[in-house]
Amino acid sequence: MTAFLLRRALFALLLVLVVSSGAFVLTRLAPIDPSGNMGVNVPEEVRERIRRELGLDRPFLNQYAEWLSRAVRLDFGHSIVFSRPVNELLGERAINTAVLAVTALVVATLVGLPLGVFTGSYPHGAAAKVLRAVSLVVLSIPPLVGSLMLVLIAARTGWFPIGGMTSSVGTTTWAGWLADLARHIPLPAIPLALPLAATLERLQSQSIADAGRQSFVHAALARGITKDEAVWKHAWPVSLGPVLGLYGVAIGSLFSGSFVVEVVTSWPGLGRLMYDALRGRDIYLVAGCAAIGALFLALGTFVSDVLQAAIDPRRREGAGE
Amino acid sequence: MVRIAPPARGGTLMASARSEPQSFNRIAANLLPTEIFMLLTQGRLVRINRANWQVEPWLAERWTTSPDKLTYTLTLREGVTWSDGVPFTADDVVFSLTAAYTPGTAVGSSLLVGDKQLKAVATGPRTVVFTYPSLFAPGVRLLDNLPIYPKHKLESALKAGEFVKAWSPKTPPGEMPGVGPFVLSEYVPGQRLVYDRNPRYWRKDDKGVQLPYLDRIGIQITPGQDAELVMLQSGQTDLIQQQLRAEDIANFRRLEEGGKTRLFDLGIATEGDHFVFNLRPEKWAKDPRGAWLPRKEFRQAISHAVDREEFVNTVYLGEGVPIHGPITPGNPDWFWPDIPRYQFSLDKARELLAGIGLTNRDQDEWLEDEKGNEARFTLEIFGLNLVIERTAQVLRDDLRRVGIAVDVVALAPNQVIQKVYAGDFEAVLLAFQFTDIDPATTLDYWLSSGSNHLWNPRQKLPATEWERQIDAIMHKQVVTEDMQERRKLFIEAQRIFSENLPMLYFAAPRIWVAVSPRVTTMMPGITRPQVLWNPEVISIK
Repeated sequence: MTAFLLRRALFALLLVLVVSSGAFVLTRLAPIDPSGNMGVNVPEEVRERIRRELGLDRPFLNQYAEWLSRAVRLDFGHSIVFSRPVNELLGERAINTAVLAVTALVVATLVGLPLGVFTGSYPHGAAAKVLRAVSLVVLSIPPLVGSLMLVLIAARTGWFPIGGMTSSVGTTTWAGWLADLARHIPLPAIPLALPLAATLERLQSQSIADAGRQSFVHAALARGITKDEAVWKHAWPVSLGPVLGLYGVAIGSLFSGSFVVEVVTSWPGLGRLMYDALRGRDIYLVAGCAAIGALFLALGTFVSDVLQAAIDPRRREGAGE
Repeated sequence: MVRIAPPARGGTLMASARSEPQSFNRIAANLLPTEIFMLLTQGRLVRINRANWQVEPWLAERWTTSPDKLTYTLTLREGVTWSDGVPFTADDVVFSLTAAYTPGTAVGSSLLVGDKQLKAVATGPRTVVFTYPSLFAPGVRLLDNLPIYPKHKLESALKAGEFVKAWSPKTPPGEMPGVGPFVLSEYVPGQRLVYDRNPRYWRKDDKGVQLPYLDRIGIQITPGQDAELVMLQSGQTDLIQQQLRAEDIANFRRLEEGGKTRLFDLGIATEGDHFVFNLRPEKWAKDPRGAWLPRKEFRQAISHAVDREEFVNTVYLGEGVPIHGPITPGNPDWFWPDIPRYQFSLDKARELLAGIGLTNRDQDEWLEDEKGNEARFTLEIFGLNLVIERTAQVLRDDLRRVGIAVDVVALAPNQVIQKVYAGDFEAVLLAFQFTDIDPATTLDYWLSSGSNHLWNPRQKLPATEWERQIDAIMHKQVVTEDMQERRKLFIEAQRIFSENLPMLYFAAPRIWVAVSPRVTTMMPGITRPQVLWNPEVISIK
């Protein structure tokens, strides 16, 4: 198990290094000067000052080496677009994205898994057929379309705010902040949660149907337990393997920030930060966002592997080989 | 002044913004979020009223001029204090001017007269004497470019050589006092800025009511104009910081009919988009098209080939007017209605092109010169800007009719700007806005030595005779006191400009702003930010 953990940690580090370096190199090599963001009527000396401060007046390799030496110490430099340290920005936005990701993940799990168990266990009922059809429709709605539809509904009905994480005037108490957050979070969370819930439902449904055909489940039924008991006590734990595999990818993509949903719903998370960084050709911020995205992907895969190993000893043993 | 109902004190205005401040130091940075911070929290000695373009006394209540017109003695208002209670004095003014001339600031070059700095001396707590290096007809108008910042908070940064980095987004709001109507009370990066009333603000309305009317302004940061507009139409915000796009106006008219928003026509913009050819001689020295592409007849032919009425209908969906030079009807003081016009005429365009050797020699779609080079150039434009993209489309289609091929390349705005300053372009379409309408304050554009003389900037000596003439006229115009004489001189400059067309202008948009029905009083101006430029008179119900 130790070797497994070490191997995973090494993989995560390598992934972060390669992805962030790739992002840095590509953004730096693009034929664009970030000091051009300041507009036309900006004195040349101001442009020169900005270029000097950003190190754009130095050779590329020199600049990359300096960035790398700081990046390994987890210092990703200074953002051009926001005039602030990249680490601070990543920290703030990661929390916002985490709030959204956890909400979406919890909603998707609470909706998708029980429905999957139900449709997989009772596949021939009318309810299961309807649920599967709905699931297919929801699965087909990309988060962009989902979030635009919800923005439209919010604009027409006023049921919840159209964008942002909190109100534009803020609040002074924790309770007020939580209430404000609760009003704002459905808009971005639902478009993220619904397709994931549908995916979980379909995967869980297939998986539990497969598990239900296993001999040990038939044996348990023959011993006289109810079908519900057979499903939840015997088939469900076994069916979780493929489902947990999906969580690795879901955690990675949700926690690194949904570019589209965060932009459409004005959610101040990592996805929107990456969007702003790319628009501003902010090389240090692009590299920082890529690094944290890779880190979350590695962590998601790691969590998924550990959970799968926990429920399936064969994987644990294989991992230790 | 827009007054739907008598102004009432109190309430919170919700606004939105597409970007957040990179700095709170307007002397060091000039992007819109920093400008808005300055308008809300700081002040100037004199203010150019964006609604009528007149100079108004602001922190300076009056001034006198010396007989030689080189010295201005300004008297500051009595009893003005910074929001932290420290008295505002002449030392703050001298400090701000000194800071503005620090290398690398955003306002230093806009405070030069003939490339030389002004001098300021505090002769008393409320008296500042400004000495200009030479005659400057607009006089104290220039001081609108000088934001006043507190010496007691920033002097140490200036002494340490760190002024341009002072008041960064990390600076706690309480550390940034101002003399403006509001103070920044909260900044949550990526989410919002909250401004509260400055209880020490010096200004009252004509009935003696303490300004500002509002208690608070919340600015929500959103990533795009579409999101801003949806928030406005649903009532989540009360205003956006910029004008409506032409394609949004019809929708907002319907919303206004339904009582959901109010729509205001502020008139014609003070600028159209700028279409500029690269006229640097070195650009065309080795290019086979150099024999005809930089010639004025080529640009005149283009001007004749564009149907400006159709241009307005296509690009601005009818919400604009044709223009024939850089000064639009939105600038009534300096607009010359009789500027020579290049009437739409494909025949005239073809005639001019034939005159410089461009005819259709191989019976294809395009003209060629005698060596067989096609009449073709690359037009670089701001990508993701619908107006600019539509403009490029119209130009490409119109010029095709006379046999000129235009290869349109859409780039990120910063890339276009970078290429313009590097001289690495053939032609570009740009959108930018001057800070003042008086041509004496835009010499950077008119003079051949100017950095915004975009077709051939920073010339040591004028490259052409007509640029030398414009230089001479503009130098004279700047030192001429008589307004009628200044107008005459500027008309002459426009006439020469129009004949040579270093930059082409086709239309100027009409500016519309939309606000929520909660807004009952405001004083909108034509330039950005149209409503928030004068925040103390906004009131809501």
